[in-house]
Amino acid sequence: MSTPIKVDIWSDVQCPWCYIGKRKFEDGAAQFGGEVEVEYHSFELAPDTPVDFDGSPKDFLSQRKGIAPDQVDMMLDRVTGIAKSVGLDYDYDHVHQTNTIKAHELLHFAKSKGVQLEMKEALLKAYFIDGGHVGRIEDLADLATTVGLDRDEVVAVLEAQTYLADVKADVAQAEAYGIQGVPFFVIDGKYGVSGAQEAAAFANVLEQARSERDEPAAATQDAS
Amino acid sequence: MSLTSPFQMVGDPAAAACVGDVCEIPQAAAAPTAPEDTDTNPLLSEHARVIRQLDENRV
Repeated sequence: MSTPIKVDIWSDVQCPWCYIGKRKFEDGAAQFGGEVEVEYHSFELAPDTPVDFDGSPKDFLSQRKGIAPDQVDMMLDRVTGIAKSVGLDYDYDHVHQTNTIKAHELLHFAKSKGVQLEMKEALLKAYFIDGGHVGRIEDLADLATTVGLDRDEVVAVLEAQTYLADVKADVAQAEAYGIQGVPFFVIDGKYGVSGAQEAAAFANVLEQARSERDEPAAATQDAS
Repeated sequence: MSLTSPFQMVGDPAAAACVGDVCEIPQAAAAPTAPEDTDTNPLLSEHARVIRQLDENRV
């Protein structure tokens, strides 16, 4: 029995392409058909955003980045349309722009409990679809209960910043790897895949990784 | 900052991604049904990725 192909994914909770890329990766992994082990890593796109930023992504982009409101509307309409094409109903009218450091700490706690993938999906859905707040401890604790985590334990670890060092380690690792944008996928520690690729691209690289495992001697000959 | 990824980059170098606190919306992503070229060229160079980052408009 072969070991699963490891896929390390750097992403942020408030990254629209990360959720779209997640769906496309899952589709690609299904096409691949082999066993895959996924681990999410933290990446902060806007670490200086206040937890209680008073506004929407439209406000954030227009106020902080100086992008004209009508251009922001066009951007969000386009990404919403692309999300729709993979079955995700983004609702930017109700998205709460926030700081995601606590969400990343929660993802590390969830990993320690074996439910990181479920927590990641819940956070992305809460942020982009359900209008949830993913920056405040109390809201995160409520959300964590939906994947079976203990609410009081979540509050305790988030208040104590128990997993902050793990988040910072992920961010530092991304910087060391030269990762400038997300989502970023590392397949079997060898191949890098940047952005929300089409499903076939993920299936192809997973198959490539598997074939190299199956034929290590041939791969060595090809490299020489 | 230059890209120093130790990985062999694969896939479409024009795929949409978020860089910094802004998210690129390349034309390729605006047409999700456009055919891709991964069957004939699945392994694209890191150089191409760097060029793409330099050239592409970001929003």
